[in-house]
Amino acid sequence: MNLAVDTPWILSGLLLALLPLFNSGMRASPAPWLTLMPADTLSVFIVCCLRLCAMVAIAGLVLGMAGLHRTEQSRERIGHGAHIVLLLDRSSSMDNSFAGRAPNGSEESKSTAARRLLTDFVKQRQNDLIGVAEYSTSPLFVMPLTENKNAVQAAIAATATPARGFTHVSKGLGMAISFFEQQPVTGSRIVLLVSDGAAAIDHDSELKLREWFRKQQVRLYWIFLRTANSPGIFDQPEDSRDDNAGAMPELYLHKFFLGLGSPYQAYEAESPDALKQAIADINRLENLPMHYVERIPKQDLSTVCYSVAAFLLLALLGAKFCEIKR
Amino acid sequence: MNHTLKDYRIGCLLLAALAMLVLFIYPSKLQKSPTYNYTFIIDITRSMNATDYQQDNQAVSRLNFVKQTLRELLQKLPCESKVGLGLFTERRSTLLFEPLEVCSAYTEIDTAISKVDWRMAWAADSNIAKGLLSTLDMLKKSDSSVIFITDGQEAPPVNPSYQADFSSIKGQVKGMIIGVGGFQAVPIPKFDSQGKQTGFYTQDDVPHRSSFGQSNLDPSQIKGYNARNAPFGSEAATGSEHLTALHETYLEKLGAESGLAYARLTDLQNLNQALKNPKLAIEKVVQTDIRWQPALLALLLLSLVYLPRLYKFRPLFRS
Repeated sequence: MNLAVDTPWILSGLLLALLPLFNSGMRASPAPWLTLMPADTLSVFIVCCLRLCAMVAIAGLVLGMAGLHRTEQSRERIGHGAHIVLLLDRSSSMDNSFAGRAPNGSEESKSTAARRLLTDFVKQRQNDLIGVAEYSTSPLFVMPLTENKNAVQAAIAATATPARGFTHVSKGLGMAISFFEQQPVTGSRIVLLVSDGAAAIDHDSELKLREWFRKQQVRLYWIFLRTANSPGIFDQPEDSRDDNAGAMPELYLHKFFLGLGSPYQAYEAESPDALKQAIADINRLENLPMHYVERIPKQDLSTVCYSVAAFLLLALLGAKFCEIKR
Repeated sequence: MNHTLKDYRIGCLLLAALAMLVLFIYPSKLQKSPTYNYTFIIDITRSMNATDYQQDNQAVSRLNFVKQTLRELLQKLPCESKVGLGLFTERRSTLLFEPLEVCSAYTEIDTAISKVDWRMAWAADSNIAKGLLSTLDMLKKSDSSVIFITDGQEAPPVNPSYQADFSSIKGQVKGMIIGVGGFQAVPIPKFDSQGKQTGFYTQDDVPHRSSFGQSNLDPSQIKGYNARNAPFGSEAATGSEHLTALHETYLEKLGAESGLAYARLTDLQNLNQALKNPKLAIEKVVQTDIRWQPALLALLLLSLVYLPRLYKFRPLFRS
């Protein structure tokens, strides 16, 4: 049941409920000698009932005033969904359009497009736990994995403020994976990386990321918002001298992700429509059965208390009118 | 007259029943109560790592103290209040999330505040005046009050000729500047890339003056002055910028220029009081439960009915 009250000190008023034990609350009728009165089980029973009514009525009033309620309950259910961490690139280039220019009136910036589509995405994923991490030069913890969609939307909306810094993807990934620590493994675990650039990952970080991805069983989706005329993730180097992580970070990051050993899917979005397609795919694919916890909000019981008290009060009042005076 | 009605108990019970009737007819009334909408912008520059706060007899860093106090404050805010979070470093701030209702999103806000770390800083400078200006500019369209939490340590120090100009923004944004830190200068801890402390910043580690643009001094006063090659002279600057203390007068000045109030953070109570500034409150009409009033009346009347009789004195009242 898990009952609780809002103002515990009021409960001390429950002592008042003991009063009816000392006083029947009835008018005493004079009798010459009590021993003369025959014992009557029914009378004793009625008196006990009336006292009990009074005690419960007093207790009901006190509990009502103390604000008796049933605490928030959770119920485990099985549904379809995923634990998703949105890892958003906040580097300055995200504020440019897909054509690589500062956005003018007719086209939207990459971050605006991403924000609009992610907002829709979050709306559609009702059962999921969604967390938000961001990265630029350093990783930013924004919102823990939560079922509160308003909170996730607030975090996504906040990316409307100007972005800053560079693209330091390995730290961001580390931060995103850390979200799954101390979370039960159920349903699919997804890191959805939305970025418009890549960076070389140093050897130490590579090793760590490999281990973490394996340990946490995380699936990675990379939505690469490609700017026109910039290298893509599937481009092969034309010149073998360019075949290194420094010159083609996108390709090498892609290769690294392919070698992670955990499921990985890359999308190269060159326009808002392509981005939409990628999100629709994830929406379709990631619906594994998942245990999730449904919350039943706190239930107020004070109305019940007051109702019971009022009913018993009327009963007592009725009994009072039955008293006779000789 | 009916004998029954003469009994005081029946009067009490009737009144109690009446009180219960009132309870069910008027369970609540509309009451104005203040709610708040804050966007906390926390300074996460290195000087915030200086440990000059005490908590449970242990020295804690300014940043940790701020985080702890904000988390406690979160529990004290009335429902329907909103809290957003942002970070400041370099000369801009970033918004982590827009204001969220505190009661429904308590865990999320609390976790997010607890995860704030100086290593989230994307650059190492600390240009507070410019940061404040850009923050206010960024949030001028929102109806949230900006609570800018900083120790006022500019790194490198600002050249007086290049100060931020708040005139365009003054009065457009509600908010406060909260000063953090002690008045005693303390060293700033230095960390390695793994986050382990490796000592403190020394005098040689930090710039003691801005070397941007032109000096504000008279060139003839500067030793080794060369307009092109050495506009600040040839002498190495010395100073105590490696130590940090709360620059209260500076923050007060920034507050006056930008139209924000200023308060110093000493403990939860003082922060709570400062933030309860009526200028920042938003009056909201909320349904307030007043059922306890008639219930209390009914309770007292009912208790009166069952109050133990004072048997001893009874004969006195009988004639």
